Amino acid sequence: MLLLFPKRLSWLWVGLLPALFLIARPAHGDGLDPRILKMEEERIKVIQAVQPSVVAVLTGGGSGVLISEDGYALTNFHVTEAARGPVMKCGLPDGKVYDAVLVGLDKVGDVALIKLLPKKPGDKFPYAKLGDSDKLQAGDWSLAMGNPFLLANDFTPTVTYGLVSGVHRYQYPEGTLLEYTDCIQIDTSINPGNSGGPLFNMQGELIGINGRGSFEKRGRVNSGVGYAISINQIKNFLPQLKAGMDTDHASLGFRLETDDEEGGLVKLLVRQIIPSDAMRRGVDVDDQLVAFAGQRLRSVNQFKNLLGLYPKGWRLPIVYRRVNEKKQTETHETLVRLMGVQRQELSQPGQPQPGPGPRPGPRPGPGRPPIIDSPASKLYKAKDGFANYYFNELEQKRLLEAFRKHGDFRKATGDWALRTTGTLYAGVGPRGKRVVADFTIRSKGAKDRQNDLVQAIVDGLDYSLEPLSDEEKPATRRDPPDSGGLLMALFQYRQLLVHGEKGFVTSFSHGGVEPFYPPREGQSKPDYAKLRVDAEVLRTRHAGVDGKWYFSKKNDETAGQLLGFEIWIDRDEDPCEVYLFDYKDVDGGGQLPHRLEIHFGDKVYANLIVNAWKKEENR
Amino acid sequence: MNRTTRLSPMMRCLIVLVTLSPCPLVILSPSRAEESFAQICDKVNPKLVKLFGAGGFRGLQSYGTGIIVSPDGYILTINSHILNTQDLRVHLADGTHYHAKVVAMEPELDVALVKVGDNKLKVEDLPYFDVVEAAKRPPVEPGTGVLAFSNQFQIATRDEPMSVQRGVIASYSKLYGRIGIFEATYKGDVYVIDAITNNPGAAGGALTTRKGELLGLIGKELRNELTNTWINYAIPISARITVMQADGKEATVSILDIVEKKEKYKPLLPSKKNEGPGVYTGIILVADPVERTPPYIEDVVPGSPADKARLRPDDLIVYVDGVLVGDIHTFHEVLSRYHPNQTVKLEIQRDRKLQTVTLTLEKPKPKKPAAKK
Repeated sequence: MLLLFPKRLSWLWVGLLPALFLIARPAHGDGLDPRILKMEEERIKVIQAVQPSVVAVLTGGGSGVLISEDGYALTNFHVTEAARGPVMKCGLPDGKVYDAVLVGLDKVGDVALIKLLPKKPGDKFPYAKLGDSDKLQAGDWSLAMGNPFLLANDFTPTVTYGLVSGVHRYQYPEGTLLEYTDCIQIDTSINPGNSGGPLFNMQGELIGINGRGSFEKRGRVNSGVGYAISINQIKNFLPQLKAGMDTDHASLGFRLETDDEEGGLVKLLVRQIIPSDAMRRGVDVDDQLVAFAGQRLRSVNQFKNLLGLYPKGWRLPIVYRRVNEKKQTETHETLVRLMGVQRQELSQPGQPQPGPGPRPGPRPGPGRPPIIDSPASKLYKAKDGFANYYFNELEQKRLLEAFRKHGDFRKATGDWALRTTGTLYAGVGPRGKRVVADFTIRSKGAKDRQNDLVQAIVDGLDYSLEPLSDEEKPATRRDPPDSGGLLMALFQYRQLLVHGEKGFVTSFSHGGVEPFYPPREGQSKPDYAKLRVDAEVLRTRHAGVDGKWYFSKKNDETAGQLLGFEIWIDRDEDPCEVYLFDYKDVDGGGQLPHRLEIHFGDKVYANLIVNAWKKEENR
Repeated sequence: MNRTTRLSPMMRCLIVLVTLSPCPLVILSPSRAEESFAQICDKVNPKLVKLFGAGGFRGLQSYGTGIIVSPDGYILTINSHILNTQDLRVHLADGTHYHAKVVAMEPELDVALVKVGDNKLKVEDLPYFDVVEAAKRPPVEPGTGVLAFSNQFQIATRDEPMSVQRGVIASYSKLYGRIGIFEATYKGDVYVIDAITNNPGAAGGALTTRKGELLGLIGKELRNELTNTWINYAIPISARITVMQADGKEATVSILDIVEKKEKYKPLLPSKKNEGPGVYTGIILVADPVERTPPYIEDVVPGSPADKARLRPDDLIVYVDGVLVGDIHTFHEVLSRYHPNQTVKLEIQRDRKLQTVTLTLEKPKPKKPAAKK
């Protein structure tokens, strides 16, 4: 069942009007303002429409909400944690109990994605439509639904009705986890058991996941101040959750302090900075952070709210300001890769004790009990760094299939050659220099006759790299100079084209969706908001280097096309960024890019036009 | 509830037209003419400020709320411990912050007037609540819908808007409450509301009608004396009470008076100390020669509550039921509010460690002439 209310409601509006106005005194509300009666009626309609999507999470004791017809549902991390295992039982308002499995986790944001199993294959679930929580305002009405105090034996959710008390609220984490950023504050009553349940706007759209409250002296019951995680934040993490990831939130690698000038507006100044992408991009102590992710900064809370919206690894624009030695103010805009926040947490034994929150059920003990016998157990695969690797494999498979629609090169296991002409900028200056650059990857061309060899001639200079050899010097792995490791990058690219997931020995996983910024030619001051495309991501590690691969997720014929990739010779350095353009048919079928733009750090290394791709099947 | 359901003939015609027309959505709803709560919030919020001051220890919050009552920066709030500092700070709705000073206080009304800006740092054209007009408005009746705006739990800082809650006036009646052991100083009429405003930092926030018109100041975290439940109340802006002064004369105090007189306002002398009947502990403190002698125990009367609680000479009393007692005077004052048979928790410092002892208070002993030590 699809829950699209606005249309139905506006129809209802018109239909009901004559009745409401011409009957001056409705029978059941003697003397009541007809507008009140109408509001009441509309509210009931909305509740009836959304009710079937509300989930009672029975294992652990909490609530949830279905968001797709194939059974994906959102709840709180702290609810699934109380379930003490990846499989659980859920009740729906149809009165039936369903098996469910944990799919993805956002421990910092206190969100979990679970999947309910249909009773018969192909059965469709009712689900809630996702709203836009940024449109909410303090003073809007809202509906919270769920299973407070685990009241509903027949799984019919309790509904409470109240005001949105504040939007874009910040609530401090417990340790590193359960940080509520950009959350929705409500006076709508939520209590233990409501955790993980939906908050709806009065159009019946899902705008948040109810998770905690401010409690002090009354114990864990409604104090008039509850918080829901905004659905817009969850949307950023949802692709990662669907990929079975145990996601992480972000930090920028510096500490900010507010400048305390009386009567003035807040200035956020960088006070401490650790080695990070921000530092490599030039941010320094005493710089003023002016904007982040396209938003001007007004307070520390607001900055923390913004930061909390994004997963680790995303690349987002920042604007910072600096007064230079000549007392002039310089403004810089750049993209920064977000660091994680959970690293220390993971290295510590045990979990921190989360504090107040409408948290039902027992706290999880150390270690997980063995998986109980459930049909949902078949949909679970444990792997470090993942909530459920089974779902990651599903996403990998789906993405690789879409990728191979643009060209299946699995048989081309022989030598590959790439002949290009183009402009080299490294060491030459902004105007560049016309050069010829040829690259060859020789299958089993290494000295040991087992591994591959990459050779190149760039602007008349010879380069050679054995990617899998331990004996290569660090500088060779970064060749050609100032490219950040283009030889290694092209080797990795061929691995993906020819071997797919088998080409990456150490790891290969789906990484959800991230913003990607393909450069436009000749643009000196890029508008990052305009450049940004959201791309599906694969993360790889092979030959001692990390790779990140960005695929088009547009709903058109380019879906699954590789837009570019980044190869990190060293995790603590900038990657070699390769942007792929001008896909054209190649001999033997399929399409390959015919323009490559290579960036390293803040600079363009080269812009290369492909004259020919040559590839051989194995000898 | 007497909102009209009658419709003018013109309106009826319109409605018929509207219901017949295929795309009628512009004038459909009569409620469109009224402002939504979201619009009311936008209007009310700039008239509120966040206060930051003393506190931050032992469960005492260091933040509160206030309402702007003049364009040049006078702020009305509830008289509370957070004002007891040289470093009182105010965050305005636009995110600017200022140091503030207390210009008037009236314990009988439990309100205080605070000022931001001075000759050096001028504050002007602030949006404000018209207190004169608000004080004229007759009290609203029980059952009336209201909105409550405050910075409870210090959720907002800088330019972040206040929390808004909705509720209904439950009653308009006299206040009998207590905070911990202290009785409420204000004894006049209050609005009791069903919204949960009894939260840290809410005091001094605005209670308004559903149109954003000022009704009162959200009160402190009081408990009802009889039921021991937390009471959600607001002091009406029209609050005006008559107090018998020490010299036997009656005097009237009102919020309006304070707001109008500003710096010139002189608080009333309290009629009588807020004292209980007195209690007996059996604690003999050291002599009190200087103004702020710490409450060290000199001796303990054998068989007294103090003796039973194993208090000893040289113990230093630090807290009485969580209230810091820095000197002998404060200790006596705090203790004077207790009743016999009540238990009281003392935290004492003995051998450089804090210890907690519980004492059951007794009736004061009849004074014997020249009791020897």
